Order: sequence, then structure tokens, then C-alpha cells
Amino acid sequence: MAKTIKETLLGTLVHGEEILESIRVSRSISQDKIPVGNIADKKVAALHPERLSLVVADIVDTGKNARIIRFAGADGYLPPFEAGQYINIFTEIDGVRTSRPYSISSSPRQRAYYEITVARTAEGFVSDYMIDKVQIGDRFSANGPAGVFRYQPVFHSKKALYFAGGSGITPFMSMIREVLEAALDRDIVLLYGSRTPEAALYHDELAAYAEKYPNFKYHLVISEPAEGWQGETGFINADLIARLVPDYAERTAYICGPQVMNDFCKKELESMGVPAKRIRREMFGARKDIQNEPGWPEGLTGNEVFRLTVGDRVIDARSGESILTALERAGVRVNVCCRSGECSLCRVKLVSGNVFLARGMLRRYADEQYGYIHSCKAYPIGDVVIQL
Amino acid sequence: MEQYDVIVIGAGNGGLAAAATLAEKGKRVILFERHNIPGGCGSSFRRGRFEFEIALHQLSHMGTPENPGPLREQFARYGILDEIDWIEIKELFRVNFPDGTGVSLPADREKCVAHLCKEFPAEAEAIKEYFKVVYDFCDESTAFAAQSAKSTGEPGALKKLIMKTGFPRIYPTLAKYALKSTQEVLDEFFKDPKLQLALSAYWCFMGMPPERFPFAILAKCTYFYTETKPHYLRGTSMMMNQAIMEAIGRMGGVVRLNCGVKRIMLENGAAVGVVDENGVEYRAKKIISNISPLTTYGALLAPEEVPESAREYLKPYTVGISALTCFIGLDCTPEEIGFTTSFTLNYESLDANKDFRDAYQLLPDHDPLVATCYTVDDPSVSPPGTSIITAGTLKYSAEWEKLTPEQYYEMKYEAGRRIVARLEKMYPGFTEHIEEMEIATPLTHMRYLNHPGGAIYGYEQDRMQSVFFFPAESKIPNLEFASGWVTSCGFGPNYQYADGVASKIAAEV
Ligand SMILES: Cc1cc2nc3c(=O)[nH]c(=O)nc-3n(C[C@H](O)[C@H](O)[C@H](O)COP(=O)(O)OP(=O)(O)OC[C@H]3O[C@@H](n4cnc5c(N)ncnc54)[C@H](O)[C@@H]3O)c2cc1C
Ligand SMILES: Cc1cc2nc3c(=O)[nH]c(=O)nc-3n(C[C@H](O)[C@H](O)[C@H](O)COP(=O)(O)OP(=O)(O)OC[C@H]3O[C@@H](n4cnc5c(N)ncnc54)[C@H](O)[C@@H]3O)c2cc1C
Ligand code: FES
Repeated sequence: MAKTIKETLLGTLVHGEEILESIRVSRSISQDKIPVGNIADKKVAALHPERLSLVVADIVDTGKNARIIRFAGADGYLPPFEAGQYINIFTEIDGVRTSRPYSISSSPRQRAYYEITVARTAEGFVSDYMIDKVQIGDRFSANGPAGVFRYQPVFHSKKALYFAGGSGITPFMSMIREVLEAALDRDIVLLYGSRTPEAALYHDELAAYAEKYPNFKYHLVISEPAEGWQGETGFINADLIARLVPDYAERTAYICGPQVMNDFCKKELESMGVPAKRIRREMFGARKDIQNEPGWPEGLTGNEVFRLTVGDRVIDARSGESILTALERAGVRVNVCCRSGECSLCRVKLVSGNVFLARGMLRRYADEQYGYIHSCKAYPIGDVVIQL
Repeated sequence: MEQYDVIVIGAGNGGLAAAATLAEKGKRVILFERHNIPGGCGSSFRRGRFEFEIALHQLSHMGTPENPGPLREQFARYGILDEIDWIEIKELFRVNFPDGTGVSLPADREKCVAHLCKEFPAEAEAIKEYFKVVYDFCDESTAFAAQSAKSTGEPGALKKLIMKTGFPRIYPTLAKYALKSTQEVLDEFFKDPKLQLALSAYWCFMGMPPERFPFAILAKCTYFYTETKPHYLRGTSMMMNQAIMEAIGRMGGVVRLNCGVKRIMLENGAAVGVVDENGVEYRAKKIISNISPLTTYGALLAPEEVPESAREYLKPYTVGISALTCFIGLDCTPEEIGFTTSFTLNYESLDANKDFRDAYQLLPDHDPLVATCYTVDDPSVSPPGTSIITAGTLKYSAEWEKLTPEQYYEMKYEAGRRIVARLEKMYPGFTEHIEEMEIATPLTHMRYLNHPGGAIYGYEQDRMQSVFFFPAESKIPNLEFASGWVTSCGFGPNYQYADGVASKIAAEV
């Protein structure tokens, strides 16, 4: 066959003939490279499946207004995770499709099941369902494991100081179980704040660990002590930290619990000179009493109903509920994972109207410039138009 | 069923630019992106007080307002130029050697030559000669491209003969250097290995070591980055993505995020539309794929729909390299830790080709280390008193793919530890200042880009697969490609290439 003009000209270059010949050889000896299906997705799936299919394998009532649920993989497989990460479980309740993130409390060293503990919350929606309705054999889909509340060995201290509040103990259970059961060279002090000793989750297990392992110290701090309580009381403040954890400055601190407690502990640590890099926080979802958040517009109660327009739909949206919740109530599908403002999956464009943005929303600079908001932490405070 | 002139699959740089140009030309266009944000490689993520850029170290082809480059003109057409704060970078890069010395290159031909002549006086003449060759090469290349654009179709046998003898005379530098490797040219000009490394740093932007890196690409990188000045911008490459996406909407186009394409529909072997991940069908006269040809044919078509000619055509092409990158937020300024140039390439020995072989290994021990401190040129990219550094090496995914899921996290942190240890050696006290840090492996890139091998630069950009041999042809009527897989990788080249593809299609539909 006559050479094309391209080949002809290339042939005049230094190395031209030689490279054209190499290409001819390579063409004749190479295999077909076109795969069947999406190889990238397939290869990544063992680590990050697009969706987890879970089946409830076991349920334990803690007797403390909280329930331990163990999920197995519906197809027998659960991907690895890092102690401290959560899964976001999708539910359909009364015709509403929504989801809630739950920290995995089991150790990542075993993956026969993921354990979560769901605590009842006042006027809870999904938590009530999880505690009252879910039965062994029920199936769920979820995303994750996700989240960056975890030990990062490159720059975190091997000595840790955990601050847990209420159900915020869950990610720490995974971390503690991993460190102790796998005999890792790390040292943990846990300060666990609870209203009453009875309400403290996993108390017996934690007390037993503290007995057995010299690298684990456990202090339960009770805010509403009954007569006769011998242990620590009050809030976890600077005085208490300095007294119970004299080497706090050498430790990386991790905080997980209700937002008020989370903010308080952070302030206390800062007042003690602990730098930002040593304070890691889990944003345990959005607070329910958003109208008490600093900066909330005066005069709004959280109960006003505004019009939320998305495409050609107009939806009722309550000021005290996130735009994400309003969309879910109306059956509009939105991508979602952390429900805490961090992952940006629920991002939507604010076309017009006013919204209240709760703290902790990790927005990109470009999103601020172009009016994108994370709908899980954005509240309508007037009629609003958004675009998905 | 929704009907469009053109459907674009993937909102990477190529997809965004293609859709913008089509919308600008009044075409009905829809752009699908499976991720929740636009940008592909070029995007960002947040951790704590920091926002990390994933890909962009230096934007090429911008030029200055007085002396605009092609990209500035393209952005002006989209009407987005003034929406972004552009940051001109004063130095091309700094190369650091294992003995603690290093060389920085100013982004100005005369200053650069003068500086190098001062640093390497014994080779001053060769340095001047080298730069002349680089510039002649690019001038001839531009002239030849302009000439070729005028001609259409295959010339006759006689014309071919004339061109064959004429070409080396009209374009002598092209004829001599266009198919040489970087190493070959450097050896021809220079003796000092440090000087060779100082001039060849752009190999890492294409992921090919000097012995395989086409000199043609090095010459163009050197020329374009010097003449149009390397740029960065406030707010990471997400600012460009968002600006272009907004412009597409403004000009009448449609963008669907969170909406991957699942299938391309064929009729009589020609592309007629796509099906999205929700099962919705869309029709169009043309389809532009911004994803790899491998995934386009392999995942968006049934095996029996893939033309034999496509299988033949893609046979010699090898999936390229991925990366292992640490994204680091420091609680101190760049000065405190000793960073003075935004973009540095750090060597463990003076043999880049040998060190590069570690790219096939799991862990980064000798691999040349690319470290960029974005805060050097614009302190406002991170909060006051902090800095952002991304440091990493090029890595093939093969060894990472072999890990069991159980081994993955451990190895990822081990890799991060080694990179940080190398930074600690160069910048004592570095580790103590880390406030946030994430590690991206080849599998991370595979997850977010959905590219085979987690490839960040498409196919291997060596002399047999790039420059004159990009696999740009589609073997399916009405399907075209516009991505780093079918042209020179990089932001500037992809925006421009897609602009060209889209302009051609706009004239047809
Ligand atoms: C990373 C992370 C980890 C977490 N880990 C745990 C854990 O380990 N254990 C744990 O117990 N909790 C955990 N949480 C908190 C958990 O996700 C839930 O917030 C908690 O279970 C409460 O959910 P809820 O639906 O009961 O209450 P809320 O989320 O407060 O639900 C009440 C809200 O639901 C909405 N709602 C009410 N009725 C309806 C309806 N009919 N239709 C639609 N919406 C309605 C309204 O917005 C109402 O305000 C975690 C949170 C995060 C972010
Ligand atoms: C770490 C790193 C550093 C780099 N440094 C630089 C630099 O300093 N300077 C420079 O110029 N270049 C640099 N590059 C290269 C540059 O980023 C790329 O060459 C360029 O972005 C490639 O663009 P693309 O158009 O090929 O799209 P890609 O970025 O490859 O994007 C493809 C898009 O398609 C989407 N997609 C995939 N499958 C589907 C589907 N089925 N349906 C819908 N959407 C889909 C993906 O989610 C993705 O958004 C770097 C790249 C990386 C990763
Ligand atoms: S769901 Fe993660 S930011 Fe809203």
C-alpha cells in the first residue's frame, strides 16, 4: 500500500523509519486492549463499592434506649474500613426515602459484620425506626464506609485522648477495640461524658478493658450524678483534663458527641494551648435545634413554612429543617453521604432566596463564589429556588 | 425523548470546553458527569481549614493581559476571564539535587539563559544553542501546523515526492528533533547531569522519564510555559470548572452532574444517543466522549457492538501512569519551612531514568518527588499563617491493584510516611507542622476518574504514542473523542483540543 503523506513525512525525520517500524511491530504483537465492562469500577469495588448491600444479622438491646445492630454483607462481603468511619444507611419510612450516617463500632480487624449502635433521640425519625421496627433479616443499602475521623499514623500522636459524649462513643469503640485486641503500640485515654452512669453505652466493656490493658485509661464523667456516685462529675473542662490527663499536650485529641459538647471541648483544649492540628472532630450530624445556632435570624422559630422551588416543583419547607430533608420528604432524589456538611455530595445551587448556613459546612471556594450550598446544612429562611 | 445536537460524556477539562464551545455556537448541547462536581482530574476537596487542589500545578497557554495566550482568548469567548483571579507564577520550577543544591528557572527566556550560564559557566554556549533549538523547533512546528491546516486530503504521488524532499529543508529543526527523546537531545548538548535535570523537569508533567519523554513535548512545554507564563488561580481549578459550567448554562447548554452515562446507543453502527444511569434516553446528532476510548468502547457499548477496527486501532496503546500524592496543610508559612519556589522536583540521585523505575514499585523510595507549595505565589490560597503543599510521585497502578483490600490502608499510610520523611529531610521540622493530610494512591485516581490504571495523563506519552501518534480517531460514526487520552495531556492542551473538536462538529450539525 502506498504510504500516506503523514507516513511519508514522518519517514524523513531522524528516527522516523525506526519509530514507524516499532509501531508496526507493536501493532502486530499487541493484544486487544478493549475491556468488557468498566474495569476501573470493578477494581475499585472491593475497597469502595458504589453501594453496600446489608442484611441485619443480629440485634442486641442495650437496655439503655439504644440498640446494637450488626449488619452482614448481603452477598457475604464487606469492604475494609478505618476505625472511626461511618456508613450512611438508606431507609424508607412512611414512604419517605432518607438516610442516616452511623459510625461503625466494631473493630476493623474483623469484617464478618459491621456493628452500629443507634441511640434514641427525642422526636427521632430514623432512630425510632431502627430501634423499634428493624428486625433480623431486614435489608438495607448504604454508602461508605466514609469519613476522616480516624487515626492518621503519619502525623497523629501514638498517644490519644478521646472525648466522647453520649452516642458519640461509637467510633471510639471501633478504635479502642482495634488498638487493644490487636495489641497495637498506642496509648488511649477516654473521657466519656454521659448524663447518668446508666445511660453510658458500652460501660462494662470499657471498664473491663481498663482493668486489663495498661495502655487504656477510662474516665466516665457524669453531668447529672445521682446520690452516691463516686466518679467524676460535671462537664469535661480544662481543669478536669489537666487533672486526669497530665500529658495531654503530647496527645492527639479526638472529639465526638453532640455539637454543644463538641464545641465546648474544643474551646477548652484551645484554652489550654492545644493547637488545631491536635484536635480532630467528628461532626455528628446537624443539630436538631437549629434555631439556637449562633447567627440564626431573630424572629424565626424554626416552624415557618416557606416555598422551595426545584425545577418545576414547589415544595413546602420548614425553616427548622434542612433543605435536604425537605427534598427527601417530597421524594426528590439527592446524592448524600455525611449529612454533616463535610462531604459535599448533597451540594445544590442556590438560584435565589435566603438560606441559613449552619456551621461546619466545608464549602469549596468556587462553590461560595457561584452560590452552591450543601443542602444538609442549609435551612430555608424565606422562599427559595434551587437547582439540582 | 430529549433531542440534542450534541451530547458530551464527562465534565473533565475536555468535556467542559467542548460543551462550552458548542453552546457558544448556538448548538443544543447536554453534558453528563457522573461525579457531583465538574472538573475530572482538575478539581479540589476540603479538609479542615484547607481546600486542596488535586491536579493543577501550572496552567499553560494563558499569557498576560497585554500578550494574551490562546487559553486567555478562549476563556474570553466564554465570558469567564474576569470571574477568576489569575496568579502569574514567576518561576517555572526549581530542581533540587540530593547534595542539597538546586536550580530555579525564571519564567523568562533571557533571564533563564543568563541564570543557567552563571550556574553552569562551562556550558554557556551550549545553553544558548539549546534554547535557540527549542524556540526554532516551536516556530517551525507552528508554521508547519498552519501549512497543514490549509491542505486537504491526500496529495498525489508527485506532490508527495516534492514534500518529502522539501520538508527537511523548510523545517530542519523539526526534521532533526521531532522524534528524538529528551535524553538524546540533552546528551547532545550538555555534560553536567545537573544541567540536564534542570532543563528536563517537565517530563514529570507527562509521566515519561527523560529517556522516553519526547523532546517535542519538552520543547513545547519549555516554550509555552516561558512565553505564556505559568499560571495558577485563586480557588483551585474548581473555579475554572464552575465558571465554564455556568457559562454553558448561560449560553443555553445543559449540564447534568451526578448523572453518569451508562450506554451509547447505536443504530446501523452509528452513535445516535445515550442512556443515563437512571435509564433515561437522550438523542443527538453527535456524541463527544471525554472519557478514555477504552472505557467508551468497553463499558458504554456491548462487546459485539465494538468495531473490529477500533480493537485494531487501539492495540499499540498502553495505559499510562497514575500518581501517589500527599495533600498537606501546614500550620506555618512557606518561609518558616523553607519553601521558596511553588513547583519543585526533588531527586534522590542524578539519574532520573534510574530513579523513575521505582514508579513501577509500590512504595516511593527513590522516585523523583514533585512538591508544590501553592502558598508561595499567593498566600491567600490558604488561611493566614498556613500553607498548602502537595507532594507526590508518579506511580503505575499495577502494584497497587495487587494489594488485598486488607493491605490497602496500611500501604497507603506507609507510602505517605515515606514521602513525608523525604520532605522532613529537606525541610527539617516539616512533620511537626502537619495539620491536615490526605493520601491519594493510583486506586484513588481510579475511583474518582474512572480511568483504567487510574491514569492521570491518558496513554503513555512516549514517542510512539504521542505527538504524531495520538489515537484521536473514532471508529464509530458520529462519535468523537476529546480528552487527555487522545491529545497531549494537561489543562491548556485539553481545553484547546476540545475547542477544536467542538468547532468542527458545530459546523456539521
Ligand atoms: C458521622 C456520623 C456518625 C454518627 N454515628 C451515630 C452512631 O453511631 N449512633 C447514633 O445513634 N447516631 C449516630 N449519628 C447520628 C445519626 O445519624 C442520627 O442523626 C440519629 O440517629 C438521629 O436520627 P433521627 O432520624 O432519629 O433524628 P433526626 O435526624 O434528628 O431526625 C429528626 C428529623 O427527621 C426529619 N423527619 C421527621 N419526620 C420525618 C418524616 N416523616 N419524613 C421525613 N423526614 C422526617 C425531620 O427533619 C426531623 O427534624 C451519627 C451522625 C453522623 C453524622
Ligand atoms: C495529580 C495530577 C496532576 C496534574 N498536574 C497538571 C498540571 O500541573 N498542569 C496541567 O496542565 N495538567 C496537569 N494534570 C493533567 C490534567 O489534569 C489532565 O490532563 C486533564 O485534566 C485531562 O482532562 P480530560 O478532559 O481528559 O478529563 P478527565 O479529567 O480525565 O475527566 C473525565 C471525566 O469524565 C467523567 N466520567 C467518567 N466516566 C463517565 C461516565 N460514564 N459518564 C459521565 N461522566 C463520566 C469523570 O468523572 C471525569 O470527570 C494533572 C493531573 C493529575 C491527576
Ligand atoms: S451530605 Fe455530606 S455535605 Fe451534605
